[in-house]
Amino acid sequence: MESLDEHFNLEDESESSDDSSRNRHKSKLPLASPLCAETKFESGFQKTGRICLEHIREAMLHHKWQEAAEYMASYTQMLEDRKRRSTSKELVWRLSIEILHHLSNSTVKDYNIIYERMKHSGVKDYLTICLEHSFHLMLHGQIEEAKQQLSVAESWRYGKESISQHQRVKLIQAYRSLLDYMIWCDKKYTLTKNNSIESDNQGMQTLFRQASVNFKELLRNPGVWDPFVLSYVEMLEFYEDYEEALNVLNDYAYDNSFPPNPNAHVYIYQFLKRHNASEKKLVKVLKNLHLLVPSHELMLEYSFLLLQSERTSDFRKAFAVLLDMLDFACWRSNLDVWKSLQDAIHQLLSQNEGQMIIQDYMALRKDWWPKLHFTRSHAKKDSEENAKLLEVKASLAEILCPGRALRYTAEPLPT
Amino acid sequence: MDHQFPPRLFPSFYNRGPPEQLPRGRSGGWGAYGGVSAQGGSGPLSSWTFTSRRRVDGEVWRQTEPLPVPLLSPRKAFQEYLTPPDPMDFLSHLQNFFIDDGLDAFRCTSEVLGENFYFKKAKKKEKYRQGSVNMWRTKSYIDLLKYKPCPVSNPSRSLERFSSHMSDVVHDVPLELLGSLLYEELTEQRERMQFSERSTGGALAYVPFSQSEGCLLYPGGLGMDRLHFHKVALQNSCMDASSSEPVSFQLKAPIRQISCGSVLGDCCVAVRSDYHCGVWRFGERKQPCLLQVVDAEAAATCVSVSPHVLGEVLVVSESGAANLWTVGRGLQKVRTEESNLYFNAKSPWRWCEFSAHPRVMVYADRTGAELTDFRAKASGAHHTLFRISSTSDCRSGERLLLCRYLGDVNAFHHLVATQHSAYVMDERFPCVPMLKCDHMMQAPPLFCHVASASDRGMGETTKVLLGSHSSQEITLLQYSGGRLEACSSRGAPQALLRPSDSLTHLPVQIPHRQQAAAQRLASPAAGLTCFQKKGGAEDFSLCVLQLTEVGDIFYQILERRPPAEDKSGAPEAQTSEQLQVSNPARHGDIITAAPETPDRIVCLDSSTEGAEDERGTRKQLPVAFNDEPGLDAEVCGGEEVDRSSCWEAPLTISSSTAETWKLWLQKLRLTGQNQNPEAVRPQNFVVQTAGLLQAADRDAGGELDEPLRREMKGCMRRRSLLLNDSASIKVPLTVPALVNAEAWTDALSDRLTAAWRGEEEWQAWWRDQLGTNRKMKADALRRKRRMQKEARRAEGRRFQLSGSFTSSVSYQTDLDDPFESTGWSSAVSQGTLSDEEGGAVLESEEDRTLPVTATPDPIRTTTPQKYTPSRPRPLPPTQPNTPQTPRANQRSWRPQDDFLSSVWGTQDAPPQSEEPPQSEEPPQSEEPPPLPSSWFPSSQSGSLRPSLGSLPSSQASQSQRGPSQASQPKRKKSRMGF
Repeated sequence: MESLDEHFNLEDESESSDDSSRNRHKSKLPLASPLCAETKFESGFQKTGRICLEHIREAMLHHKWQEAAEYMASYTQMLEDRKRRSTSKELVWRLSIEILHHLSNSTVKDYNIIYERMKHSGVKDYLTICLEHSFHLMLHGQIEEAKQQLSVAESWRYGKESISQHQRVKLIQAYRSLLDYMIWCDKKYTLTKNNSIESDNQGMQTLFRQASVNFKELLRNPGVWDPFVLSYVEMLEFYEDYEEALNVLNDYAYDNSFPPNPNAHVYIYQFLKRHNASEKKLVKVLKNLHLLVPSHELMLEYSFLLLQSERTSDFRKAFAVLLDMLDFACWRSNLDVWKSLQDAIHQLLSQNEGQMIIQDYMALRKDWWPKLHFTRSHAKKDSEENAKLLEVKASLAEILCPGRALRYTAEPLPT
Repeated sequence: MDHQFPPRLFPSFYNRGPPEQLPRGRSGGWGAYGGVSAQGGSGPLSSWTFTSRRRVDGEVWRQTEPLPVPLLSPRKAFQEYLTPPDPMDFLSHLQNFFIDDGLDAFRCTSEVLGENFYFKKAKKKEKYRQGSVNMWRTKSYIDLLKYKPCPVSNPSRSLERFSSHMSDVVHDVPLELLGSLLYEELTEQRERMQFSERSTGGALAYVPFSQSEGCLLYPGGLGMDRLHFHKVALQNSCMDASSSEPVSFQLKAPIRQISCGSVLGDCCVAVRSDYHCGVWRFGERKQPCLLQVVDAEAAATCVSVSPHVLGEVLVVSESGAANLWTVGRGLQKVRTEESNLYFNAKSPWRWCEFSAHPRVMVYADRTGAELTDFRAKASGAHHTLFRISSTSDCRSGERLLLCRYLGDVNAFHHLVATQHSAYVMDERFPCVPMLKCDHMMQAPPLFCHVASASDRGMGETTKVLLGSHSSQEITLLQYSGGRLEACSSRGAPQALLRPSDSLTHLPVQIPHRQQAAAQRLASPAAGLTCFQKKGGAEDFSLCVLQLTEVGDIFYQILERRPPAEDKSGAPEAQTSEQLQVSNPARHGDIITAAPETPDRIVCLDSSTEGAEDERGTRKQLPVAFNDEPGLDAEVCGGEEVDRSSCWEAPLTISSSTAETWKLWLQKLRLTGQNQNPEAVRPQNFVVQTAGLLQAADRDAGGELDEPLRREMKGCMRRRSLLLNDSASIKVPLTVPALVNAEAWTDALSDRLTAAWRGEEEWQAWWRDQLGTNRKMKADALRRKRRMQKEARRAEGRRFQLSGSFTSSVSYQTDLDDPFESTGWSSAVSQGTLSDEEGGAVLESEEDRTLPVTATPDPIRTTTPQKYTPSRPRPLPPTQPNTPQTPRANQRSWRPQDDFLSSVWGTQDAPPQSEEPPQSEEPPQSEEPPPLPSSWFPSSQSGSLRPSLGSLPSSQASQSQRGPSQASQPKRKKSRMGF
């Protein structure tokens, strides 16, 4: 692509002129390149533009939007500089939109003018600008217009597809499908309200088909697709395609090329829960989640499920899960967790090897748990905030950390 | 609740691989929404609401003052140069070393060679040493080096030969080694100034005790090697550090980082210097006490106090080893990493932070950060939290600079800063940044502070402050979410005030003080901290403190605009108003500020005498403004001083701030004076001005005029006129003694004396001076001459001869009138010159050489005396400028020329031929005096002219030529005087 090549050259130029006097020692320091670097051979026009840009930057960083807008009005002339058109175009687009965000008297028309003009003044940023424009419309409640924008962008083709362009096309399709889903939801709502109109059902089907194609396509790409997955699954569930829904969720959660998203496991758990799956399946999902996020709030349910199963190994797991939870700062003064731990310990102690198991698990923690949970300050704080917690914790202190002279007691402290 | 994880995150692609080659989007996150997520959906289409990843609305924070305020008075400090050195300058550094410290550079070899070298002129050599080499030519060349001659134009053959023979042995330190070491050192210095990674983290910390009180921890002392614990309080709009004295500890090395962690009211402070780390413990009522100090073999790069367990500290050094330091028990190695984590970034810098789990730490280097569980000894217990890759949409060349555990904000969040962006990472969902904001800073951020939302339910934002080292930048970023909803950044990054910019808001000082202050204020930042104060329901303020490398602490207080106004877009409207209002004022100030400067300085000077008496200085401030006619309408006081100059900030400098700054600058000056003893600096010529403007008899009027002075001062403050009735002269002011007009013989005094005598006298003086009455006078002269000639003819030749050789005194009295006539012409010819060249100097010189003449009328006699002698001096400059001599002047001489030609007859030509450029001057003016040099100025032309006039032509030409040749050098000498 021509514009891309131009960009390449530009970068080379700016890099070489960066420190031309010291080519021998190229600085490896992590310094940021300025917004618009001074180049070796710049015309007066470019210099003016650079200084203007510097002023805009300064004004924007100090939130002097009016001043920035005044400078911006002049900076648009930089679009006539052929050499740096691609960079200055992106700058003009982004900076003007940002300034418009913060000006009190900016109108929808202003936004549209900038988006449309910048969109059509080149090919490089067309898709990005389209996407941003549709976001803007969505945020301002103009869902129909946003969908129209996205449809236009979807059918836009130019040259070879680069990776970033490919991803942008996918995102555009996904967002359009999200809007389809929302219209679908709207129709579903009217359907449930009126319960009679047949033609709407047809429309819903079309929307579902359109959206599902795109969603399916998108979900093959690794990424974080929480809103899309949820929408897709909801539509699939509506049409009672549970198998496909579960497939989608499983793929999302267990595909190794995907990032380890805790939400993916949570969605499966919620889906299984909705469809009254067996405890075993639930435990399996939660076990995976436990490996990923031992501090997740579902771990409380996990330990509860384990404790219900009457098996020593499960008691042990529950005990471990709860100890893991209590390692984390956010659960340390949570009464429910301590109570569950109390239950687990009671269950374990009723078994033969209970004491041993507890000691095994506590061996790793013996040098820091007392300081983490059972100091006098903790006792004081707990007695002030939650007397019940103090009671539970005090009863467990001796079991968990035997042989340590803990100052954590349920008795009122001598002050 | 911290344990909640956002149920739906913003959609994004998960790319794995190295960062993209192209630095895309250099405009950062400006203007982009970055993705949206929808909520709602149970109702109709309109019930859906969207939130974007970059939300436009943020809290609006405004500084209460347009400039940061110094918290402590300035102390002595060593200041490094502000401009980084250029490694390619090593040649000039070497040159300086060789020239200035030749003994150190060449001692050994020179001692060996010294016996065989002889540096004196060659002729005498044989007498002393037979076998020595003659070096005087080389020496004379080397002596020339002081003047930096062009080495190409002045080559020294012998020196070249010597250098080619001995360049490898003559240096004590081999030149190549020294050069490369110096280059390396300069490179390192340069890099350290551009990016000082050892000060990462910052050496400033604040531990809050209550809502407005807390303890500030900062380094002090000359070497920044004294740790101070200082209780401070935030009052209405300023910080108060004077309530208590700091507790301080002397350390062995400069403090690089201070890390604080408090567990249930107990606070643990870890301090890192280059090779030592120490831990102190203190509380609100507990005095700080040192617990333990450890030494590190390699330079420590990070120290981090555990937020979970009191007394646990992580220490990492450049060797790559991370140690868990349980205070009292010693170090325990928890991880070692010889190379960088993800790719070779060639950096030994390492960083460690605790995480939500007390036994999991974040181990970071320039390439990324890993979560390390150090319970398990196996090395497999690491997983990536963050890495420089396309996953986080990094750019190529981006490096991790800072990592911070945000335990106060969200138990699972970490802040990762690079030179382009700040990332918020959630350790439950590693690798993928929850949030990425571009901070738009020019210098890499090395310090950060995060202020959590005090009330999470109110939709308040979390404030992230990033601070850079060299450029002192502070950027405020805001984000929200992380629990029930996904993280989204709020508003645009905001640059806060920098101390180096503050001088523009303050009254201008005289240049060298301004420069000294600017240099001090521009020293790089060394730390950053901040705390929040919540006064009422809608009264939030944020106090940002910044430490500089010379130990100054500046603070700025930000106030939050109530949220209701945020949404209405009012701030922008106000900004524009302010801009409109302030712009004209700005121009006004620029114009008026300049003239008032010296006055201001005078005030400051006088105030320091009174031992920094605040009230005194304040009283004197307005004095400066009384001179300004246009400023009468303004109210006096500190506020208006800088109202117009603080054009960019929303508010004016309050009087207390102005006062603080004034005191600070004064004290800075005092410390600067102590630092550079007077002996070192070249002394300036000082005019004694004490008592210059005081009444002659001070003892008598001392008490009496006190009320008068007070009244005058009051008037000056009010900018009103000092009226007679208000300040009726009750005091008998002493009148200075009568001036003896005769004692002053220069032109100005003459003119003044004439002016005192009345207008006619004065006008007559000017007429005389300008020569408008020359014709009249010439006529009178002619008449007189004629009469004299007749008289002489009658008397015979005897008198003439004697007249030409007697002393000038008699001549002057005799030849009063002729003198005057020449006086006119000279005055005219000189008029332009004396103006240009400062006639006063001439006059004073001449006054000294003037003989005391006992003439009846001092005015009439001094006039010619003054101008005639000075005539030859201005001549030399006129020589080259002859064509430029005004025509009017030339014409004005004509009458006299006519007259003179009549007198001189044929003698016009000789002087002209001798000195052609002076041809336009009347020939007499070149007449050199055949007199002793002390008399030369006063009588040179006058003494001869009359005699010449009366001499026969042959005699006259003789007497004129002879002395003219003789006096040639003399005139040149006088030219030197110019």
